[in-house]
Amino acid sequence: MHLLRQPKEKIQVFSNALLNAKSKVGQCKRCFHLTAGEECEICLNQQRDPSVICVVADSRDLIALERTREYKGLYHILGGLISPMDGIGPDLLNISHLVNRVDRENTKEVILALTPSVEGDTTSLYLSRLLKVFVKVTRIAYGLPVGSELEYADEVTLSRAIEGRREVE
Amino acid sequence: MEKRLLVIGPNGVGKSNLLESVELLGSLRSHRSSSDQDLIHWNNDSAIIRAKTSNDENLSLEFRKVGGRKVLKNGKQLSRHLDLLGSVRCVGFSALDLNLVRGEPLLRRSWLDRVVQQLEPVYGDLITRFNRLLRQRNQLWRYWKDSEQANQDVLLDAFDVQMALVSTRIHRRRNRALKHLQPLAAKWQKRLSKGNEDLELNYLPGSALEGEETELSWRLAIEEQLAGQRNDEERLGSCKVGPHRDEVSFLLNGSPARKFGSAGQQRTLVLSLKLAELELVGATFREPPLLLLDDVFAELDPIRQFLLLEAVGDDHQCLISATHLDAFEGDWRRNSQILELERQQDGILEVG
Repeated sequence: MHLLRQPKEKIQVFSNALLNAKSKVGQCKRCFHLTAGEECEICLNQQRDPSVICVVADSRDLIALERTREYKGLYHILGGLISPMDGIGPDLLNISHLVNRVDRENTKEVILALTPSVEGDTTSLYLSRLLKVFVKVTRIAYGLPVGSELEYADEVTLSRAIEGRREVE
Repeated sequence: MEKRLLVIGPNGVGKSNLLESVELLGSLRSHRSSSDQDLIHWNNDSAIIRAKTSNDENLSLEFRKVGGRKVLKNGKQLSRHLDLLGSVRCVGFSALDLNLVRGEPLLRRSWLDRVVQQLEPVYGDLITRFNRLLRQRNQLWRYWKDSEQANQDVLLDAFDVQMALVSTRIHRRRNRALKHLQPLAAKWQKRLSKGNEDLELNYLPGSALEGEETELSWRLAIEEQLAGQRNDEERLGSCKVGPHRDEVSFLLNGSPARKFGSAGQQRTLVLSLKLAELELVGATFREPPLLLLDDVFAELDPIRQFLLLEAVGDDHQCLISATHLDAFEGDWRRNSQILELERQQDGILEVG
């Protein structure tokens, strides 16, 4: 209804923008993030550390991590998680590209940032086994959300947090 | 208030629904169906169970065709459904349980799982995770049938590691629960058989659990077995190691009750198992759980009904369903509130 009340010109501009997005936005040839050019803004940014690659399932996860402004390395988008039930095997994800890229770019560390579901853990374990022979592989810690009370955390989160405990510095 | 509620009415009137709704509040699962969609009337979008407990808690559990479950406690929505557990504790006994001794191993696994879940609510997450891992893994072989892939062993390793860990945790909990149940069930069997029968419960795990009972040694043993059975697995398309192959055997005076027990002995055994469960849950939480007896009376002879009544005593609040009041022998009818249900046109059952 809101759209129908707008003047025709405005609708024209809006629909052109949508068509443009559809036709011009493609994937970065290096990390598979969304971009209008050959490579995305992050890969082209000289300020970022090219020796670290953070692996995520899709571009939405990248955007969430970018909001933290903490991470200064590059990314690699898998395009999903391994899930045979949904017909998704490793061959359908950007995994061989990742292996080649780590080799070619002389990467020092790969950080796996995938959800802790069965599919996410399977993908993490698969990738770490493929990569750890020639690069350091780490994964993000699972634990308690900041601002939450320990006593209200569920047992699954708590046991994961205990498994991933660290020595106090 | 009377401790016993007898729910009487013809088949299909909703007796089991009433008991099942209490079971759902107590365990978040139903022994009759594994899909929430089955709990919703075909021309409605949702089904709601509301209850007020004697501790003055208002509980509400809603099943929606779209959007899944919604759980409220005292008007506040719970983000974790598991937090509802503990408000109502109950042990169910239905006509389906009478097949526990004779029926498929799956029945004995689900029975044991219900006991463990009562004692440790997170257990449900382990079972859900294991089932998902197993489905994904079995599907993997189908996926590879169409196209041979590189690094198959690496992907199977990734599954082995996760399945070995979850399997170990499930095996340990099932084993522990059976050890707690064993002396209680044996005591009841002895009493119900007038001292004639010694009952033994044995856990026969679907993985060879070697070494001492520590998480690490069992986990490594299972990992090794999972890796070792891959050729068979490829041929058969399913995994042969894990808690999905668990079995529980019941021995009466040393012989398997499944094969050699008479029909009467098998029924007494089921009764012993249920009483052991009731006692274990009651002792763990220092409060007698509700007992739900769904349509079992028609199946029990007068002697066993009497023994059950004597065993349950007056400690437990009981909800009991039957088609006719005649099903109850002797003292069951005394001190009981009787609720007769009649067929309703609009499918709504009011219990006042």
